[in-house]
Amino acid sequence: MAIAVFFVAAAIAVLGGIGVITFHQPIRSVLSLVLVMLALSVIFLLLSAQFVFAVQIIVYAGAVMVLFLFVITLLGPARELGRGRLRYQGSLSAVFVLVLLGLMWTMLQGVQYRQPDKADLNFFGTVQAIAVGLFTTYLYPFELTSILLLVAAIGAIYLSRKHIDEL
Amino acid sequence: MSSLNIGGSQLDASWFLLLSAVLFGLGAVGVLVRRNPLVILISIELMLNAANLTLVAFSRQLQNMEGQLFALMSMTVAAAEAVVGLAILVDIFRVRDAEDIDDLSELRG
Repeated sequence: MAIAVFFVAAAIAVLGGIGVITFHQPIRSVLSLVLVMLALSVIFLLLSAQFVFAVQIIVYAGAVMVLFLFVITLLGPARELGRGRLRYQGSLSAVFVLVLLGLMWTMLQGVQYRQPDKADLNFFGTVQAIAVGLFTTYLYPFELTSILLLVAAIGAIYLSRKHIDEL
Repeated sequence: MSSLNIGGSQLDASWFLLLSAVLFGLGAVGVLVRRNPLVILISIELMLNAANLTLVAFSRQLQNMEGQLFALMSMTVAAAEAVVGLAILVDIFRVRDAEDIDDLSELRG
């Protein structure tokens, strides 16, 4: 059962990924990426990462992708027309990506799996388990994340500031 | 090879890593081939998602929560990156049409 779920979700994710890079209209790329994220959230659930599953749907497929859709509606439809200015862009990209995939394939062959820690799988991945990690061992990184978000918010406000002054 | 017992079925950890590698490769193709800056940002998000899948897969294989915590951190960074990237993009689009990223070459040395 789990194997079937994995392969269906993986096929949807790969098809969505192909859609992201082949559709000519950005809005279709965004919707394909939403499909990829939903398929990945199913895979997170298979890997007993319940909280990451919820965050993936709420924050990623919900908030971040809606942000992309807003920007597309703001800018209007833009299609890629004609060929790029770089010569051999497609073939050079294909070479680079094939090298990258070959590298990742060789790395995958040499992965040394460590013995698992034998955690309690009923507790693993729950909100409680995440909270124990975030508020004890990783308290400082967690608090620093809030500073990162503050900086990003200030940056976004600054970038659109002069247009507010014009109103 | 390390098989994971998920709901009574045996799934191999390397399948998840292979899926992640394929998605990362697709994102890399998108960044290199596409010329619409918005689609390039979308492809970067795809690559970040592929990296998250690797983190969560190793977290499950090692039965160690740290991978999932790191995936949450990387989601935060991805959200911040999307906000700032889109703000820059909207700012550029207000001044000029930037449907092709090759047109934005004023800073070229």
